[in-house]
Amino acid sequence: MKKITKIFMRLIMMAGIIVTVVACSSSKEIYTDITESKEVKFERSGAQLWGETCSRCHLVPSPAAYNDTDWSTIELHMRIRANISESDSNKIFEFLKSAN
Amino acid sequence: MKNLTLLLTMLVLAFNTNAQTNIFEPSKTQFMIRGYGHTGFNYQNSEGDNESSFVGSAFSPIFLFKHSDRLMFEAELEFELEHNQLEVGLEYADVMYVLNKHMTVRAGKFLLPFGTFMERLHPSWINRFSTKPLGFGHGGITPASGIGVELRGAFDIGKSKLNYSVYGVNGPRLKDGTGGEPEEAGMLQFQNFEDNNLSKAIGGRLGILPFADSSTELGFSAYSSGKLGEKDSEYEDVGAFLYAIDFSFVKQIPELSGFIDIKAQYSKSNVENAHYVEIHDEDGGDGDGGDEGGHKIGEGEGVEYTFDNQSDAFYAQLSYRPTMATNNFLKNLEFVGRYSNFNTPEGSLWEEKSTQYAFGINYWLSWRSVVKLSFQTTDREGGHDGGFSKTEAISLHWAIGF
Repeated sequence: MKKITKIFMRLIMMAGIIVTVVACSSSKEIYTDITESKEVKFERSGAQLWGETCSRCHLVPSPAAYNDTDWSTIELHMRIRANISESDSNKIFEFLKSAN
Repeated sequence: MKNLTLLLTMLVLAFNTNAQTNIFEPSKTQFMIRGYGHTGFNYQNSEGDNESSFVGSAFSPIFLFKHSDRLMFEAELEFELEHNQLEVGLEYADVMYVLNKHMTVRAGKFLLPFGTFMERLHPSWINRFSTKPLGFGHGGITPASGIGVELRGAFDIGKSKLNYSVYGVNGPRLKDGTGGEPEEAGMLQFQNFEDNNLSKAIGGRLGILPFADSSTELGFSAYSSGKLGEKDSEYEDVGAFLYAIDFSFVKQIPELSGFIDIKAQYSKSNVENAHYVEIHDEDGGDGDGGDEGGHKIGEGEGVEYTFDNQSDAFYAQLSYRPTMATNNFLKNLEFVGRYSNFNTPEGSLWEEKSTQYAFGINYWLSWRSVVKLSFQTTDREGGHDGGFSKTEAISLHWAIGF
């Protein structure tokens, strides 16, 4: 019985060591430092930009006010009228179309 | 027979369903009508002279035709009841083409980005008051629209944003006092469908949004015209340089439980000096106003005069909406105050120094519909009537954007 317990304990220890090694291992062959260009970018979402950009002139419009087709027309009009960058404009109206 | 009928019914239903799913395919070109309108009631007291009237009923439809993802035509008409008649105006009508993600070209009649008020904030459902600040609109010094061509666009620079606009337009013409408006000699008339000389006005605006949340914008605008007068006239070489600085701050501040919105603009107009003639009555009528250094041309004919043709206008507006209030009625309220100031050239027949304070409470029925109750008091020295006047006005307006 003592022998069985000894074998069982050794198996558990081996399993523990294997699990620890696998869990701490990396799929990368070598480690590289995070350079500045690889830092995580916290970009503003369409919903954030919708709240911040529209309210610069008027109250924030309800996404449900227009359908997708109308929003695409309004997108081009507002992008030029309010001089909004293309990337911000795309994010805002993608959000509006997804939320209407 | 029953089976055959059932089969036919199922086939008809299947075809119908298939047909219906294809109906809502959006067209590649889109046409849309948007716009805004307002109506209301005004009460005014000017030096004991009281007036009250239902006013407004202004209707401004905007026509948008999207030809493709790059090409669009836009136009805005304005129907307004003024001076006992219907006035129809064309606010803008232009075609826009997106050249690339940082550059769009516009051509036609477009709103000029001279500051931000006339281009972005003047529509009645956006403007927090039923009136414009001093210095804008009729008799003002800021150009509202122009006919020409414009390049505009925006960039992201890291967390900051930058937008720009450069344009060339027909430019203003100088009112020389002829044509039945001697009291407006030296004023600029910005609405010119046809240019009166070969010189074009050039201008632009640079807007900087330094913070990632776009809460703050600082703008610099300039507008220059080398020649204002009629071709081959003595006023042809009179030039003008205008500039404006605008500021905007819009942010929800949790400590204040609501939205703060600050807008301000300073505009300056500098027109080169010229000599104008003030016509007098045969019986030696009044010759006041702007006769500094002037000399008589002839008895009963007129007096030549000049003045330093510089004007400026300023306004600052603060509004607060308690959007984080628990009460729904409070949430939709907005408290707003505005100060504006307008100075025209000393010595001109349109000399004026005016100061205006306005206060208002707005109730937002929806994001695009507002009831505005406001009180404003204006102190004016000079102007068309001359002398000093104090005008107090109360207005109740309803505006809607659609």
